[in-house]
Amino acid sequence: MAEEIRPLARALVRSAAGPGRGPWRARSAPAAASLAVIGAVVAAWQLLAQARLLPAFLVSPAAVAGQLVALAVSGELVRHAAASLYRSVAGLALGAGGGVALGLVAGVARPVAAFFDPLVALTYPVPKVALLPVLIVWFGISDLSKIMVIAISCFYPCFIAALYGARATHPTWVWAAQSMGARPARTFLRVVLPAAAPQIFSGLRVALALSFILMLASEMIGSSNRTGLGFLILAADASGRFDLMFAAIAAIAALGFGADRALLGLRRILAPAALAAEAAPGE
Amino acid sequence: MSSAVAGARSLAGRYYSLAVVLAAWEALARSGAVNPRLFPTLDAIGASLWTMVADGTLATHLGATLLRVFAGFGLAAVAGVALGVVMARLPAVGRVVEPLFSFGYPVPRVALYPVFVFLFGLGHLSKVALIFLECLYPVAIHTYAGCRGVDRLYLWSAAAMGARPARVFARVVLPAAAPAIFTGLRIALPVALVIAVLTEMIGSSRGLGWLLTYATAALSRPQVFAGVAAIAAVGFALDRLLVVARARLLPWEHEVPPIAVDAR
Repeated sequence: MAEEIRPLARALVRSAAGPGRGPWRARSAPAAASLAVIGAVVAAWQLLAQARLLPAFLVSPAAVAGQLVALAVSGELVRHAAASLYRSVAGLALGAGGGVALGLVAGVARPVAAFFDPLVALTYPVPKVALLPVLIVWFGISDLSKIMVIAISCFYPCFIAALYGARATHPTWVWAAQSMGARPARTFLRVVLPAAAPQIFSGLRVALALSFILMLASEMIGSSNRTGLGFLILAADASGRFDLMFAAIAAIAALGFGADRALLGLRRILAPAALAAEAAPGE
Repeated sequence: MSSAVAGARSLAGRYYSLAVVLAAWEALARSGAVNPRLFPTLDAIGASLWTMVADGTLATHLGATLLRVFAGFGLAAVAGVALGVVMARLPAVGRVVEPLFSFGYPVPRVALYPVFVFLFGLGHLSKVALIFLECLYPVAIHTYAGCRGVDRLYLWSAAAMGARPARVFARVVLPAAAPAIFTGLRIALPVALVIAVLTEMIGSSRGLGWLLTYATAALSRPQVFAGVAAIAAVGFALDRLLVVARARLLPWEHEVPPIAVDAR
């Protein structure tokens, strides 16, 4: 198992950067090049839209930005974004919490792994969005059915990552902890959990992206109380308000990006690269 | 003979949990504790599935869904591998494109579906385009990481033995990056099916996703569960296909967990 962990650990160690060369120096130049590309695309879009060379549904970025400001001022943006975030965060918390906990337990307890491993392997490639109609049958077109489908989707990457992370704990560390008199619970919390942390964060990152996809999907398929950014996109689309539609898409993109950055920041605090360096035995 | 029995026994031992879950479902459905309209028994679901197989409904919708999945995934596999190779071979391209991918990764592309409908219409093309866009990310990123991770000693040895760049690429870089490429493909394929089903649920008149929304609207519960079972079977079969292909093409590699280990 250590074979699979090692490349990740190595990559993390490398990203921690050597002495004398700050991580910013190494990174800021390429990011600037990409930002320039994005800026050029937006500028070209704006010019083409102003020259009326684009079809009517590709409204100009300036109009989208104006609509975004109007939405923010009227409070509509906060209302829809809050409804969407509530669903995705609640689903993510349920699914990731369950997945990480069960995955860690399965990583250290063979019978638990023997029960869940085949089930997860069989159902992992199944598109969980197909369960939405079933969940709607059980729970109605409510927040609950949306949260459940998000939770089920987020469970999988977290379970798999935690399982493989816990299994990759170097046996020497476990033996060392045991020989120093640590009880099983303490070994689990102080050795297995930190060793699995980098893998768990990889799983969480996949789950976060999934939670946003399913939040949007479930809101587009059926929104009960006419809230949520997915609902806003479809409603604006249906009424031909393309500036509103692109404003909602921009809001979704910003939320997804911000949540991902927050998770990466959390990883830097909770699973620093120094830990990953130790997680590569034999290097 | 005895080895066949032992094989069957070990298979049953491995997958006993599946039998436990199915038995629990059947017991719950028959117990009368839950509404049988919400929890159909397995034979009711099976009968509904068989009806759809027999009258050809399933084949029609399965065909539409698979066409979209294979078209979008196939295009993304070709373009993603090519893009990943170019990014790794030309550092200038890699430096510009890689941040685009890592910034764009957490942005849900599904939000663009209404735009794609306007661009490409409600038929196959808008769905194939969205599947392509979603699958391009994992394939390109994993190919890029795989090509950059090739051991320098291999490259130097090949060059020292007089191999031209094209030959180095075909005989050293590609085989060395192949496991990473397969990981990217294995992440992308379920995504392709998810997006196909999802876009069919939002707007379509054919496909397994549409079948599900139709059955839900028609209050035909066993048919809903039969549709879910059919989609589950397709997802599982597609994944197995990729695993078997990988075992045939890369016999020296072990199976890895189907999860994205981000290359950052």
